[in-house]
Amino acid sequence: MSKQIKVALIGNPNTGKTSVFNSLTGLNQQVGNYPGITVERKAGVCKLPKGVKAHILDLPGTYSLNASSLDESVVIELLLNANDKDYPDVAVVVTDVENLKRNLLLFTQIKDLNIPSILVINMSDRMRKKGISLDIEHLEAELKTKVALTSTRKNEGIDLLKNLISNYKSLSTDACLDISQIESSYFGNLQRIFPNQQLYKLWLVITQDVNFGQVTKKKIDALSDFKVKSDTKLKRLQQKETIKRYQFINAVLKKGKTVDLNAATDLRIKLDRILTHKVWGYVIFFSLLMLIFQAIYDWAQYPMDFIDETFAALSELVKTTLPAGVFTDLIAEGIIPGLGGVVIFIPQIAFLFLFIAILEESGYMSRVVFLMDKLMRRFGLSGKSVVPLISGTACAIPAVMATRNIEGWKERLITILVTPFTTCSARLPVYLIIIALVIPEGSFLGLSYQALMLMFLYLLGFGMAVGSAYILHKVLKIRSKSFFLIEMPDYKVPQFKNVGITVVEKTKAFVFGAGQIILAISIILWFLASYGPGDDFNKAEEIVTENLSSLELSEEELNQRIASYQLEHSYIGIAGRSIEPVIQPLGYDWKIGIAIITSFAAREVFVGTLATIYSVESEEGEPIKEKMRGERNAKLGVPRYNLASGMSLLLFYAFAMQCMSTLAIVKRETNSWKWPMYQLVVMTSIAYLAALIAYQTLI
Amino acid sequence: MNDIIQNILVFTSVGIAVYFLLKKFVIPAKATKSCGHDDCGCH
Repeated sequence: MSKQIKVALIGNPNTGKTSVFNSLTGLNQQVGNYPGITVERKAGVCKLPKGVKAHILDLPGTYSLNASSLDESVVIELLLNANDKDYPDVAVVVTDVENLKRNLLLFTQIKDLNIPSILVINMSDRMRKKGISLDIEHLEAELKTKVALTSTRKNEGIDLLKNLISNYKSLSTDACLDISQIESSYFGNLQRIFPNQQLYKLWLVITQDVNFGQVTKKKIDALSDFKVKSDTKLKRLQQKETIKRYQFINAVLKKGKTVDLNAATDLRIKLDRILTHKVWGYVIFFSLLMLIFQAIYDWAQYPMDFIDETFAALSELVKTTLPAGVFTDLIAEGIIPGLGGVVIFIPQIAFLFLFIAILEESGYMSRVVFLMDKLMRRFGLSGKSVVPLISGTACAIPAVMATRNIEGWKERLITILVTPFTTCSARLPVYLIIIALVIPEGSFLGLSYQALMLMFLYLLGFGMAVGSAYILHKVLKIRSKSFFLIEMPDYKVPQFKNVGITVVEKTKAFVFGAGQIILAISIILWFLASYGPGDDFNKAEEIVTENLSSLELSEEELNQRIASYQLEHSYIGIAGRSIEPVIQPLGYDWKIGIAIITSFAAREVFVGTLATIYSVESEEGEPIKEKMRGERNAKLGVPRYNLASGMSLLLFYAFAMQCMSTLAIVKRETNSWKWPMYQLVVMTSIAYLAALIAYQTLI
Repeated sequence: MNDIIQNILVFTSVGIAVYFLLKKFVIPAKATKSCGHDDCGCH
């Protein structure tokens, strides 16, 4: 009768364990269920040299012997119960050459059960591509085992594995880790009570509630001279065990496995080498940014013009078709222009999120985060600060909330304080309209000045955030530590559906979120601009006609003068003129002042406010951009929106803390009004100073 | 008649708008709500 041995094939999921099983058994397989449970049981027979017959059991994939699922429990139950009919003579642990470190955790646990074990390092065909080299002798010596380097794809190493299985008796059964190292007193006591039992098995009985032989968890718990630990303390010991195992594995792999990125020919590694390169990585990232901003301008121009003209035409249509009166005026001059001021930015915002979604979906964004981490650390930020800073380009609120995974309080606080400097999507409408008005249309190296200006503002925001972080890092006397861990996903072609969903979600959030506030503010603004106290407002027509009777004005010009006079003496005009002394040095008139105040609710309200104010003043159904272009600074006789006032406004919005909701969320995250007030005062002061310097220098 | 109706509509709209803004920014909400899947309610 031929000799028969039982082999258990064990390994992490996705290590090619089933391929090894198929290579060993061919068609000699039986598939069924484990008794009583619906976990698939695969067994097969393999003929080994010298007429030995191996019964191979392909166990469910498991990451460790700390079971968290039914599949994993099956593995532990079998390996702990020597009386089980399937209890293996030898365990074949399959690992993947690329994830050896993670896979070895399970191997060391199985070794510690004193089961003869063979280490299969699979997918060896990928080693050259990945630049991986292994010191097999070193690995065998340190792990006290025999190693089979296999490639089931190329059918390599399977004969070696068969030989190792047939010679399993020569394998060492020594453990990799002395479990008592974790807590000597606890394990010493356990061994004293069960002197004939293997210590690691006892530990698994306690932590996994599995039984072997006569020893059960109930029995251990019932012992009067053994102090049972709480679940929390047991979890802590399990964590210590895992740390010890990884320390051991790291030491083994330090010499046992080397990865030479320069020798790697794999596409992912090649791309990583370029995209995370200390020079090319940044060059590529900034080139991509430039292309994105250029595309935002070029592609969005046509739909934007269409929307602008449509809203202007809609206002006219409402005025001509609805019965004349104040409510018709409210719709035509308040609501429609106000909403038009938001809707017009849909194309540009959709394009921005389209590009961001593509970069995220393709796996490139993770490389940017990794790349930026190196930069961040120099400024006292955590590597994890990169995520809030990048997500701050959409909105500061989720970005501030994303700081919760930064362990160190100091780094977290700094990140919270500087994140509002990054250019959020709410600033975009303000930037876009001002840039369109004050930056010329020429181009430099194929990139328009306007796109370059927009990119400059994004970089300015990011630079300001990082610079402030550096200062805060030096100023704040808080001690804390943090680390950065990121898993790099594989590169992939972005899925159209995912990208589409992201773009629609983000654009919808922008339009409907902003739309409600802008609609409400537009109604109130129109009301405040259309009503006023005293004779100056109510008898505006008489006063202007009388004052200008000496001039020969056309009816249109006269009406324009009357509307301006009336607006100046409306409620909003009075409020605006009262703050004019403060904002005049920045190059703003009272209308811009009102827009700045209302945009404290949300920055993009700025455009909607101006659209409403100018619509009340002007009878013509012009697009908002044209109305703004036509505004004049009466004192200086120059356009209101010129380079000096435009740069002043851009810088003001780049630095000012113009968002009530951000302040509220900072208060919630820091549990104090101290930090949001600090942000409000410091950021607004910086914004005012920067705007003042810009205007006074350029005028 | 038209003027009266239009005035009523204007004042009603203004009242609703003021109430909406007060509710959003001044009167504290009982539970924190976000305005979208992963957005913030700040717009």
